[in-house]
Amino acid sequence: GTGVREGKTWKKFQSYKGEAALPQDVDRLRIHVDRKAQTVILPIHGFAVPLHVNTIKNVSKNDEGDFTYLRINFQTPGQMSGKKDDTPFEDPDATFIRSVSYRSPDSHRFDNISRQITELKKEANKREQQKKEMAD
Amino acid sequence: MATTQFDHIFHSLAPDVGKFRVAPSGMAWKGSDSEAVVAMASTDIKWAQWLRVARNFQLRVGMRDHRKEKFDGFMREDHDKLASLLKNHFGITLETREVSFKGWNWGVTDFQGSDLAFMVQDKVAFELPLRHVANSNIAGRTEVSLEFTPLGKGSKALGDEMMEIRFHVPGTQKSKATGSDA
Repeated sequence: GTGVREGKTWKKFQSYKGEAALPQDVDRLRIHVDRKAQTVILPIHGFAVPLHVNTIKNVSKNDEGDFTYLRINFQTPGQMSGKKDDTPFEDPDATFIRSVSYRSPDSHRFDNISRQITELKKEANKREQQKKEMAD
Repeated sequence: MATTQFDHIFHSLAPDVGKFRVAPSGMAWKGSDSEAVVAMASTDIKWAQWLRVARNFQLRVGMRDHRKEKFDGFMREDHDKLASLLKNHFGITLETREVSFKGWNWGVTDFQGSDLAFMVQDKVAFELPLRHVANSNIAGRTEVSLEFTPLGKGSKALGDEMMEIRFHVPGTQKSKATGSDA
């Protein structure tokens, strides 16, 4: 674990090897958190779109009238996120999804989804931290 | 006995389930609860694609008048049967469109007819039908947002409704970070 302190490199990750690995539940066209695959699957105009926890920055939720809104923010280059920006990118010149917003009349479920995503992110950060400590 | 039927098929993004029939004269979808019918005459059918979507597999049919019809809900096992029906009845090949499941949030946007496709390593991750875009905004030099008209009429069957997507688009600006432009 030496020599990688300077100029962090991008580590390859992927959610699924193929379509057969998608959870069956995606056919309900609802946001699905797949903890095993460390992935959030978003319904986008009929597609089931997996997004790995490594791409996720955070999630926010607010209630407005009859609906609850959920917004997922993603890691993109050039974001000043408070701490020093040390997220490496495979291709910083690509087009990135920066955020996606959904609404639902079911505020309880979006509460739950929001908590699951935050939990997923926490676990991933913790693992990352442990790896760093091992490397030291 | 030349008609083959597939059950539990959806038309486009609608929540209503229906039956899909293939015969030498053409193909048609009929809603089970509604009276809705989508018919495609054999002479109008130009091409067909097969791709994995949320509601299992989609059959996408291209028509002579450039209309595109999409039917979701086919099973993996339906592929071979459907492919041979399309070949025998209409003389067309069912092409498989590769879909990305990598889980990456970066790629390339590509205008394909009336859709904006987000491609990850030459595979489609999703498509945004531009006719559903209610508003678009350019926020700052590198951010584009697209707002959508909700499709549902208050029905829960449609699942979660995407209201907005924002892209980070580097545009023509040269990246200072990589310095690898040649």
